[in-house]
Amino acid sequence: MQKIDDFSMELNFTEAYRKNINEHIAIREAICHQAQFPAVLSEIQDNDRLAGRTFWGWIGFSPHNAPGGAAYGYFCHEQKIIEAIERGNIPIEQRDGVHEMLHFWKKETSKAKVEAAFTEKMLPVLFRDEIVSLPYNFKPMIAQPIYRMAGVFVNYEKLLRLGIPGLKSEITTYRDNSKASGGDYQLYEGMLMALDVFIDSCHHYEKQAIEKANSCQDPKRAKELLQLANVLKNNAQSKPQSFYEALQLSWLYTLICGSLELGRVDVYLGDFYVNDIDNGIITEEEALSLMHSYWRLINELFRDVDGRVIIGGRGRRNEESADRFALLVLETMRTYGRAILPQTTLRFYEGMNPQLMEKSITLIGDGHTFPLLYNDDVLVPGVAAAHDVPLEDAEQYMPLGCGEIVIDHAGFGTPSGSLNVLKALDVTLRNGVDPISGKQLGLQTGHLKDFKTFDEFFDAFKKQLAFFIEILADHEELEYVESAKQAPYLYLSMLYDDCIARGKAIFDGGIKYLGGSLESFGSVNTADSLTAIKKMVFDQKLISAEQLIAALDNNFVGYEKEHKLLKESPKYGNDDNYADDIMVQLHDFMCNNMRDQRDRTNLDWYLNVLINNKQNTILGRWVGASADGRKAGREMANANTPAGGNDKKGITALLNSLVKPSHKIHAGTVQNMRFGRDFFNNDRPKFEFLLNTYFKKGGAQAMITVINRGDLENALVEPEKHHDLFVRIGGFSSRYIDLPRDVQLEILSRVTY
Amino acid sequence: MRKKAIVFDIQRASLHDGPGIRTTIFLKGCPLDCLWCHNPESLGKKRQLSFNIEKCTNCGDCAKVCENEVHSFINGKHLINYNACDFSGKCIDACNFNALKIIGSEMSVDELMLEIMSDLDYYATSGGGMTLSGGEPLSQFSFSMELLKQCKEMGIHTCVETSGFVSIKHFKEILGYLDMLLFDYKVTGASAHKKFTGVSNETILKNLDAAYLYGVPIILRCPVIPGINDSEIHFNAIAALDKKYPNLHSIEILPYHTMGNSKRISIGVEETLEHLKTVPPEITANWIELLRSMGCNKAKMG
Repeated sequence: MQKIDDFSMELNFTEAYRKNINEHIAIREAICHQAQFPAVLSEIQDNDRLAGRTFWGWIGFSPHNAPGGAAYGYFCHEQKIIEAIERGNIPIEQRDGVHEMLHFWKKETSKAKVEAAFTEKMLPVLFRDEIVSLPYNFKPMIAQPIYRMAGVFVNYEKLLRLGIPGLKSEITTYRDNSKASGGDYQLYEGMLMALDVFIDSCHHYEKQAIEKANSCQDPKRAKELLQLANVLKNNAQSKPQSFYEALQLSWLYTLICGSLELGRVDVYLGDFYVNDIDNGIITEEEALSLMHSYWRLINELFRDVDGRVIIGGRGRRNEESADRFALLVLETMRTYGRAILPQTTLRFYEGMNPQLMEKSITLIGDGHTFPLLYNDDVLVPGVAAAHDVPLEDAEQYMPLGCGEIVIDHAGFGTPSGSLNVLKALDVTLRNGVDPISGKQLGLQTGHLKDFKTFDEFFDAFKKQLAFFIEILADHEELEYVESAKQAPYLYLSMLYDDCIARGKAIFDGGIKYLGGSLESFGSVNTADSLTAIKKMVFDQKLISAEQLIAALDNNFVGYEKEHKLLKESPKYGNDDNYADDIMVQLHDFMCNNMRDQRDRTNLDWYLNVLINNKQNTILGRWVGASADGRKAGREMANANTPAGGNDKKGITALLNSLVKPSHKIHAGTVQNMRFGRDFFNNDRPKFEFLLNTYFKKGGAQAMITVINRGDLENALVEPEKHHDLFVRIGGFSSRYIDLPRDVQLEILSRVTY
Repeated sequence: MRKKAIVFDIQRASLHDGPGIRTTIFLKGCPLDCLWCHNPESLGKKRQLSFNIEKCTNCGDCAKVCENEVHSFINGKHLINYNACDFSGKCIDACNFNALKIIGSEMSVDELMLEIMSDLDYYATSGGGMTLSGGEPLSQFSFSMELLKQCKEMGIHTCVETSGFVSIKHFKEILGYLDMLLFDYKVTGASAHKKFTGVSNETILKNLDAAYLYGVPIILRCPVIPGINDSEIHFNAIAALDKKYPNLHSIEILPYHTMGNSKRISIGVEETLEHLKTVPPEITANWIELLRSMGCNKAKMG
């Protein structure tokens, strides 16, 4: 028998929204939360030491953590509901309601509200569907909007200091004062209602834990469940007194507020942990067991691109305790084993407790992809400059999800758009026309053959980029404006500076800084393409403009000579100024142009980010062959990484290239680099010298992976993409792809993972 | 000074040619002809055409552009007359499949210095520097001297990797510009040395002695080739050198690897060493054990 598709929660939620459609948005949102929680909370599982799992349902409210592709404000996952309708397992009494509900939300979701408000300029340019939900059949243009309020880093410290009752009492005071002075006290009223929903959820789990304990055969587990029940009871009634209570409260709040980030755990949990350990309240073993449960929940509930646990760095008031907790985090990683989440992030600076970095490097050498390394000595001044905030705020920078930098509980900056830079170049070569659709996607700036100099061509390309950047910046602003109209995002507003004091919701003037970011993809392929065009078409004139376009149109088939020349043109990542300078020029232009958008909009910042995710692959499918030699439809290089192993001159040359683009004008880059295992064994001191030098030279970030079996196998299939793989054989190192086949296979056989 | 030499490779971020993080410069040309050489393309002093048969599609474009009839296609086989090549590079440009390349390019000391200087910061933090290797770099004495001098002027740590087969006069002159020497010790016994490397070891041993007395830190590098020098006599001789020169920095054992074979084919050298196999790690560990039992505690795997 097939499972029933029960939509009672969604129907209740919809009913709550509709009944209160004309209510104050804070009250409406609070009532919607009542319909949502604890209804969407799922059961405590057998090994859980912490309570807090969700199945969000297909309709609801959340800034970010909701079913894939729908997670923005009031959401409705149409695709999933239609699938359920087609399965035919919706109870008869719900069927009409489900159809009607589906119809209702078409105009009411937060996304629909933004789309309805598109300006004339946006309409022909912005693709009006969701990249994430339709990765395979959507038709991206050059500029894509992204719908979500990503990068929620609430003020956990305040939450844990006051506890729920303390928070309630603070808000109550504000409400009463506001009411007395005839102000808009409804926002506070909504917050209080939302906190009661949170308390109900604590009790819901408390009850569940007791029931489970009562029916549990294993006395040890029963005791654990009763302990958990007690922790939840205390969370509902008082501020946390122990590490366990603090961890449980922070986790459940993360879940209910719809965040996907954990933030500076070492700061907000450090004191609790140290106090409990030093006073014998908890053992290391017990703390580790709780952390394992925490890790498991994060892994099961979050998506791979989110879940930032951040440790280390400047601006921690309780550095010593925080360091001790950070070491527990690293020990959790080691004992939990390699995992996709959380994206543990180590912020570091010269003079920080060296144990944190040492332990982190050991983990990386053991094949963990985390922690990601962030250099505060570069990034704190970098963020202060780029985001234009004081150093003390910059010290609280938080990389969210894929690496967009925001400010802990003071500055929001969801990435609400993505820019396919290589496709913008594609159309610039052809007077703004997209070679796939034949449509005029960009401005009419002329054909490649019309340009007399490379600089003229580059200028035309800059004009095209500026055109798309403006539209995406306007779109970011529009998202916030429409979000503010529709909901105060109560759980965020009560724990973001300075919403309570100002009496305003987060996106309605309450937050200290409201910024944004634009994910740009394909920058490295674009820079390399520009380099090749400069060298081959304009400087050396070995390929004519017409020949180049023909070669690209034909995916180099019949144009092998041109393909070879283009591939052999200088490439970014080899410490070669000819190529690196163009990368820097492109980087400077894009970053500065985006940064200037704050003068046109009400955003406090709008900044470029160059990050890792799957869009480099997805968007690449819509870009024809490019002048760097990349073939049609192939992936574009990730983040700031040289394309397809184009870094042929070794790691120091790569690192020298990586430090050339400025870190004072963007909101995050990811620098991928891979090393052989030897670097972490016999040659570890040299590895540390290498990394330290890179960071001292201005390296902002490092995403380090150890060369594994998969890398070598891929290199055998596509050698031209793996010039950067060096392996150690006998008494020397050699480029893997240059080795004879039998030697390659012999090396492969020695690699264990 | 505008001295030039044929460089066949530059390896940046090299970790195993001396202390710290280094840039290793490989000069072409070697007076020795060691049977097991894993860099056969480094032997000849001149540039060399290299052909990778796996990449060749027999399209014949190379033959069309070559004025010296280096390339011919007979019965679907691409044959190459290596000796006729004048390194015009025309066939390299014509080949769309990167099956052909010229090994070695002429570079000046200034050009090399530019590349070496790029990683100064890495040398400084790691105690690394520049390593001059080959071929036999000291065969190109005045070029090597000039490069080493310039490095020293810039405060860059210098190493030379050498077979030691160079005139005693030249060798002594260069010692003052070295911070470390990677000195090969290949075969024990004058006639065996001549047989397997093509030259006598008389000068080599004198140079080793001179370097030791001069006080340059020395890493003794010992390639060990099964069936040729994996004998007890040879290991005893290594241990004896350790006793004779108690201040050797270290002794590195370099086990034979087959990777030179396919390179031989690509540059038109016929004979291969098919009877020799890559040495498995268990056996190399035994060598170290053996050396330790002879009192040579400095020996380690290179």
